[in-house]
Amino acid sequence: MSNISENNLESTSSRRDFFKKTAAYSVSAIAAAAVLAPAKLLADDENIIHHTKWGTTLGDELNKNPYGLPSKYEHNIVRRTSSLMSSAGDMHAAVSMTPLHELSGIITPNGLHFTRTHNGVAHVDPNKFRLMIHGLVEKPIVLTLDQLKQYPSESRTLFLECPANGAAEWKGPQFNSLQFVKGMMSNAEWTGVRLSVILDDLGLKPTAKWMLAEGSDGSEMSRTIPVEKVLDDAMIVWAQNGEALRPEQGYPVRLMLPGWEANLCIKYLKRLEFGKEPWYCKEETSKYTVLTKSGKAIQHFYPLEVNSIITSPCPEKPWKNLKKGQMIEIEGIAWSGHGTITNVDISLDGGDNYVEAQLKGLVLPKSWTRFSYMHKYDGKPMLIQSRSIDDSGNVQPSVSQEKDIIGVEGVYHRNSIVTWEIRKDGSVHNVQVRTDNCPA
Amino acid sequence: MKLTSKLIVATAALALTSTLAFAGSGPYNGTKDALDGGMTYPRANGVETAYSYNTQAMKKLNYGRVPTANELKAWDMDMMPDGTGYPEGSGSVEEGDELYEAQCASCHGEFGAGGKGYPTLAGGSVESLKNQRTCPGKDAPTRTFGSYWPQVSTLMWYIRDAMPYAHPKSFTNDELYAMTAYLLAANEITIDGEELDDEYVLNKEKLMKVKMPNRDGFYPNIDGPDGVENVRKFFANPKNYGAVGTRCMKDCGKEKIMRIGMEITNVVPPYSTVRDLPVEKETGSKSAAEKMYDASCVVCHKTDAMGAPAVGDHDAWATVMEQGIDKVNHNSINGLGGMPPKGGAMDLTDEQVKDIVKFMVESSK
Repeated sequence: MSNISENNLESTSSRRDFFKKTAAYSVSAIAAAAVLAPAKLLADDENIIHHTKWGTTLGDELNKNPYGLPSKYEHNIVRRTSSLMSSAGDMHAAVSMTPLHELSGIITPNGLHFTRTHNGVAHVDPNKFRLMIHGLVEKPIVLTLDQLKQYPSESRTLFLECPANGAAEWKGPQFNSLQFVKGMMSNAEWTGVRLSVILDDLGLKPTAKWMLAEGSDGSEMSRTIPVEKVLDDAMIVWAQNGEALRPEQGYPVRLMLPGWEANLCIKYLKRLEFGKEPWYCKEETSKYTVLTKSGKAIQHFYPLEVNSIITSPCPEKPWKNLKKGQMIEIEGIAWSGHGTITNVDISLDGGDNYVEAQLKGLVLPKSWTRFSYMHKYDGKPMLIQSRSIDDSGNVQPSVSQEKDIIGVEGVYHRNSIVTWEIRKDGSVHNVQVRTDNCPA
Repeated sequence: MKLTSKLIVATAALALTSTLAFAGSGPYNGTKDALDGGMTYPRANGVETAYSYNTQAMKKLNYGRVPTANELKAWDMDMMPDGTGYPEGSGSVEEGDELYEAQCASCHGEFGAGGKGYPTLAGGSVESLKNQRTCPGKDAPTRTFGSYWPQVSTLMWYIRDAMPYAHPKSFTNDELYAMTAYLLAANEITIDGEELDDEYVLNKEKLMKVKMPNRDGFYPNIDGPDGVENVRKFFANPKNYGAVGTRCMKDCGKEKIMRIGMEITNVVPPYSTVRDLPVEKETGSKSAAEKMYDASCVVCHKTDAMGAPAVGDHDAWATVMEQGIDKVNHNSINGLGGMPPKGGAMDLTDEQVKDIVKFMVESSK
């Protein structure tokens, strides 16, 4: 027991003596006691008074779970999905969302990484895995997994985001949930080899302008990638937060293009071909193109633009039991596929005025960056927003700014500012501040 | 004291200057020259942004081996708009119709018309792509193979690799041409001005002549020697793609609040942030014998406290089994010492008792 708590006990008991001796007979003294020694009038917390179950029994054997599991009390911290994000509720070609409201820091645990599949989660036999690299290279090769892993590795902490993150909200708010508004993204440390190292070995022909990346799953997911990106910072990765990729993330090997659409980061990677012309894959024509109000669509829309979201409070984590006048942290995540987050601004009045938040933790390129702002809670309704800025100078747009350029049918690459409405009861609601010109 | 305050003023001035000169510039000395309009970062002297890397030579590693001609042929199967990769073969609209009915209609609807929750393959129009549901009640743009896809090569390539959905890569080349012919016909797409009637037979040469209605509906232009440079020009201007926020700090203006109309709530698993103990699930993996054991025998046989051999006690059951399984079954059915016949569970048949004995023996090995 520390000296401080001994002193507290002492003062409590001497105060008790004092009241016994002098003030116990007077009504006003009872009121005085309430002010001087409020702890005496509170009910005792049973969790403190009594021994706990786990403190009075033997725990599990240490290696009961040779691969560790979260506490059984954390069973609601899971990926969630909705039949609306699939074809007819078919969960083989669908998407599941990361519970952003329950994450701390910038690393997403592997079991909570968002998942998008086009033909189910494939289970690739690592012994039968082969990677072929050919086309406009001096020396085409095939590699086994062991041979691939011989290449010197690098690790990068990067976000992966489906460009359809937030797609349900182009025409207005639909989900009252952080997990469903922005959960099609995660952030992890990825380990693998830079493609430039492999290509140094193979020799890239100067006529090579594009690379086809093809997966080995049932959908044979494929995309065309410009060689310039391949040589800049592209990687072939086999590890995620220190362990093998999860099947949902492309085990055993996927492509990693920092800051670009997760769909481009082909999972279950099988083949890379270098060529002169783009391929026109299904997922860069039929889907993952942004239809604008002109009736024409943006194709090859690679980078995820500057973005941010307040994670606390949020609809799942409302401001309950706050006292008027107390300080409370507004916290969130900012990220940009164009570079590194430099600033995040916070609005408490729906975008009329902003104050600058502070960044915290590691500030890395093309990675989640945490931001923080201490707010004095006054119990009044609020409309809170975050707005991020990156080192390329891009500023996260408002709903109206983005809508005025793209329209409302783009589906992909929605990065406009999100607004949480905090009501008097502390509940948090997904709303949008926007100007629409519908005839009455 | 004076010197320090001078220094602070100087630093502040410098900070102000650099803020003006390099507005928004970050900590990693990047250059705004990436193809996508964003930053690239220097990689030199073992440092790249926040990361260190190994600077030793990494050339001439020579891992892996050259693929064989057959291996290349087996995997290099992509199809491109210029006809690269189109297989030999042919198929008619009518053959495609039959295949479609049998293999595709259950998901994609009759004549590709959708309605089953899976993608719609036919119908719509290029004109509809201008539709914007900016207000309630407006029509949606219809993005089908016929109205939206820019290249026909994409369709045949995708059908070959990814369809039918549940058992992909099972169509023959003739079937691919037949299916493609049918979907072109369903979308009223002509080849050389000719409509694709039931008898129309599609092959490689004819497929190369297809021009999709929305061929020119996409930008930037990625084809030809200027393709990559067109992409660079497109991304150089953020207004082209909506990255157009402004960093206003005061009196930026108020807009209306739009709240959720009809909230989407059918999420799986249901929303919850409660931290309690999960509901125990039925294991469902117990055998019938184990369930009968749980119901009739476990009280005495869980431990040896009542003199019965405990299930799981290897030595105790080895001793029991020295008598042979027939004798053990006999004793279990007729009783022995403190144990009544069938352990008192007279509703069990002899065969059921034998099953339970077998479970107990197996569980004690």
